[in-house]
Amino acid sequence: MSTLRQRSPVSYALAMPAALWMLGALVVPTLFIVWVSFWASRSFSLGSPLALINYAKFFQRPAYVKVLLDTFQQTLILMAITLVLGYCIAYFAVVQVRRPHWKLGLFLVLVIPFWTSALIRTIAWIPFLGVTGVINQALLFLGVVGQPVGAFLYSRTGITLAQVSFYTLLATGPVVYVLRNIPVSLREAAQCLGATPARVFWRITVPLTLPGVVIGQILVFLNVMADFATASAIGGNKHAYLGNIVVLLYDSGQLPFASVMAVLLMLCMLGGVAVLLKVVDIRRLGIP
Amino acid sequence: MSKGAEHTDRDLELRDVTKRFGTFVAVHRVSLTVERGQFVCLLGPSGCGKTTTLRIVAGLEDADEGEVWISGVRANDTPPWKRDIAMMFQDFALFPHMTVRKQVGFGLEMLGRPKEEIRRRVPETLATFEIDALAERKPDTLSGGQKQRVALARALITEPRILLLDEPIGSLDFSLREAVMLELKNVQRRLRISFIWVTHDQNEAFSLGDKVVVMNHARIEQVGSPEVIFERPRTRFVASFIQGNNVFDGVVESVQDGRVRVQTPVGGFVVPVRETESPLKGAGVSFSVRAELLTERPGPEHVNRVPATCRAVEYLGSVRRYDLRLPDGRSVKLEQFAASPTRIDEGEQVTLGWRVEDGVLHAGADQIR
Repeated sequence: MSTLRQRSPVSYALAMPAALWMLGALVVPTLFIVWVSFWASRSFSLGSPLALINYAKFFQRPAYVKVLLDTFQQTLILMAITLVLGYCIAYFAVVQVRRPHWKLGLFLVLVIPFWTSALIRTIAWIPFLGVTGVINQALLFLGVVGQPVGAFLYSRTGITLAQVSFYTLLATGPVVYVLRNIPVSLREAAQCLGATPARVFWRITVPLTLPGVVIGQILVFLNVMADFATASAIGGNKHAYLGNIVVLLYDSGQLPFASVMAVLLMLCMLGGVAVLLKVVDIRRLGIP
Repeated sequence: MSKGAEHTDRDLELRDVTKRFGTFVAVHRVSLTVERGQFVCLLGPSGCGKTTTLRIVAGLEDADEGEVWISGVRANDTPPWKRDIAMMFQDFALFPHMTVRKQVGFGLEMLGRPKEEIRRRVPETLATFEIDALAERKPDTLSGGQKQRVALARALITEPRILLLDEPIGSLDFSLREAVMLELKNVQRRLRISFIWVTHDQNEAFSLGDKVVVMNHARIEQVGSPEVIFERPRTRFVASFIQGNNVFDGVVESVQDGRVRVQTPVGGFVVPVRETESPLKGAGVSFSVRAELLTERPGPEHVNRVPATCRAVEYLGSVRRYDLRLPDGRSVKLEQFAASPTRIDEGEQVTLGWRVEDGVLHAGADQIR
């Protein structure tokens, strides 16, 4: 172990480069966005007067508020699905699969798709979801549907399907980590005390994995809130979330209004993370 | 639980239980009975199958072959949560998210006892184990000794028939162990439930067990009272595993009047034959003599004699232990009371002797290595 004391001048010096980087790359730009969101004029000018007019404009237009609510709704749906799915995958991989090489195989199956870029993964969904896509072909072949279903691609269902595939692992990872750190003897001790497997799960496993669940949900929450690529690629131009509106306004040069969206998005994220952290203290992740 | 019951004076019976993990045999044809209220110690080196045997009793592992009878009922297919058995784990396995009170009440809650009963009995149990002051604490704030009490209280509150203990004091500070051992023994005597205690420490096994089961390589080597294991080791393994035995390997030269003459690299010795064995001339055998039965001043009754050189002296308070070298270079131990007027000095040459009846001939086919 290093002998560096916590508040020695050396430790401050060592933290300096990273601190400067964070300040220049994160804190200053963020403050800049907040500042721009209060600009009253459309033009790019440092001398622009500050006003609340951009915020007023946002909340006066029901279409924008609806986008905000839609974004929240989509995020909550994704959180619910990835929570259940991600937990099941984590539980299966850690508790049910016992042989090390099966564990490794499962890990690779889950992770390899993420070796390609997000763009490729997004586009790869199109031949799956399209009217002549794999899913429709399969449903037609099985006789489940009489004619191709158009609702998969360029629809909310399609966006949701794709997002579930992208973000489930974010919910899985932290649970895997926490689950692996729970000694098997805890579950066995509960069994010996008369707890059925279902009760062992609800009384021992779930409470102890809660920190992992919350961290996973924070990751999913932040990513889905900010996701615009999936909605534009798979949703066509029919569906928009806050991220899409930011891009749209930025492209059309409405910087102050785009900043309003960005600030609102940030506030929502901060609020959401604060709520999730209330549920469980993630600093107490350490399990004996 | 009375359907098909038999032997109800027995808390546990294992019949030819075998367990394999892949090609590795963890437990091989182990048979064992535990009478009601008996204190049984499973003793053996790590990897000998003692913990697996315990886990089979708990139902945490399934026996591949053989039968497990608990309180006279065949329990092979009974899951752990339906067995009338409690278990104490080496790491205590306390639930980190529960207070001591919740923890101790967990067993009653799982059995579906009424809330009123739980509210009454948890404080009683906390008081019995002198942990009432810790009721609202969580495990990570407890010391090793406190955790141990909580684990014991949690295991015993449901009044199980059998308590399984897997190296229960192995993780405690050395200074605590003796006191905890005595306390556990007292608890066992008071509650009159069976304890099956797994350990690799022979002192624990001998001072606690009514019955000691010595295991090695997945098999039971010997079952008996501490005295029997100590004085009459049945196999070469038991003799070499239990401290204080001098083991000799040799070949049977002659058999006569219930005695054999065994030729070893350091001479011929006369050893009584076990009742159950009939060694043949020319067979490879081993026998042992306890360190405290050797003498450096052999008299006429000390028929077996061997020259030796003293290499080291250990003074242990009440006894003095000598490490001596035989002519073939192997070492033997000799113990004498520290009060004994005679002493051996380092480097001194002596003749060691022992009586015929002090030798213990070992059984089994695995004697010669």
